[in-house]
Amino acid sequence: MELLDRYLQAVRKYLPLRRQDDIVAELRANMESQIEDRESELGRSLTQGELDDFLRKMGHPMVVASRYQPQQYLIGPTMFPMYLYVLRLALLWAFIVCMVIASVVTPLTEGTGSAVVAALFRTPGILLQTAAWITLVFAAFEFARTRYPNVCPQIEGLNKSWNPSTLPPLEKDSLRQGKPRSFAQAVAEIIFSVLFLGWVLLIPHYPFLLLGPGVVFLKTLPYQLAPVWWTFFGWIVALGIMQIVAKCIDLARGAWERPSIIQHIVFKVVGLIPILVLLNAPGHTYVSLKNSAIDQAQFVKNLAEVNNAIHLGFSVICAIVVLQLAFDIGKLVTQAYRKREAAE
Amino acid sequence: MTVAENTFENLRLELRRGCLTLAVLAQLKQEHYGYTLRKDLAERGLEIDESTLYPLLRRLETQGLLASQWREEDKRNKRFYRLSPDGEQILARLLEEWNTINTSVSRILHEPDAESK
Repeated sequence: MELLDRYLQAVRKYLPLRRQDDIVAELRANMESQIEDRESELGRSLTQGELDDFLRKMGHPMVVASRYQPQQYLIGPTMFPMYLYVLRLALLWAFIVCMVIASVVTPLTEGTGSAVVAALFRTPGILLQTAAWITLVFAAFEFARTRYPNVCPQIEGLNKSWNPSTLPPLEKDSLRQGKPRSFAQAVAEIIFSVLFLGWVLLIPHYPFLLLGPGVVFLKTLPYQLAPVWWTFFGWIVALGIMQIVAKCIDLARGAWERPSIIQHIVFKVVGLIPILVLLNAPGHTYVSLKNSAIDQAQFVKNLAEVNNAIHLGFSVICAIVVLQLAFDIGKLVTQAYRKREAAE
Repeated sequence: MTVAENTFENLRLELRRGCLTLAVLAQLKQEHYGYTLRKDLAERGLEIDESTLYPLLRRLETQGLLASQWREEDKRNKRFYRLSPDGEQILARLLEEWNTINTSVSRILHEPDAESK
């Protein structure tokens, strides 16, 4: 019976401390009775191999002992939906804050590319820490409310106090759902896009089309636009042409009813190029002096402030566009995943 | 084990879990210790692993459905269990629930389909 003693000793190690003796004594009594029964059936003692088989059938000591533990959850089914909701929300906000810091704050405070890259690489670590803290807080709450049910407030679950009339309205997926575009609407969009492009192309020759009467002040100001704006202008025109061509192709293919999500994302990516062109303007110069020799002393400080403000403005725009793009791509991936799941 | 087998095994265990509790409570209207209870259930066609039954007895006792006492029998100390007064009430309610479910499932299984009516 040495093997049985060794088995019970192994089981004891994994049992709850307070009930070890009691459980082991009961297990021993049951197992010895079972062995005795078997031995009286056979009319002899069990061989080593038969005892091995018997214990193997009982299960690994750790598994046997684990069945005596109360059912434990790190986060139980009552708390889990709330945990998942908070986790997703916190991760989303942590991601947004990290992106704003990496794309706006870091370039403004440190100004080097390596600092931006370092800030981006810190993001996974920060997300992991956020998830870990939220899990820890929920696990601690779960532990407290199961261990001290009289002290901790009991959560009735989300089912107890909700009102169906507070449900949010049906979400409209602007990219996929909603009313399909009519042919007339698609044609009108192309016509207005062509008119808009024509207006854009005329602005350099007739600035009053953009500024109206303000163009008079533009002539009296000592500033002029830097050459980078011509590159920006070129990209805006190219983007406008691309969109018109794509819309015409959709019309020719008979696919005007619903805009393609991929096309929408591609245009957003291409739309980032003119913004990046401005962000990478040499010396972050967007405005320069018309007569630097004369106005240098008087306007040089203002000039630096104006250029910094424009750079900051485009940094913020860039961050917003990148976030929108990430959101759209996330939506596209989720839709594709759901579609595949539904197909399976 | 294939996915289908694994799914079946999980569903089978889920189905058995509640039934085993019911059977154990019903069998413990008479006093038993772990091993004889297991033998009795097996003789009536319900096999339960030792590693499932013995912890289940402890759990039911913690829930107040069983009462237990250590007593010597055949020169060996054994822990005997029997249904507590609370356990008797719970068993009666569970049996009622079991019968309702059983009747409904039988009706569903034996009713002709709406199409064939």
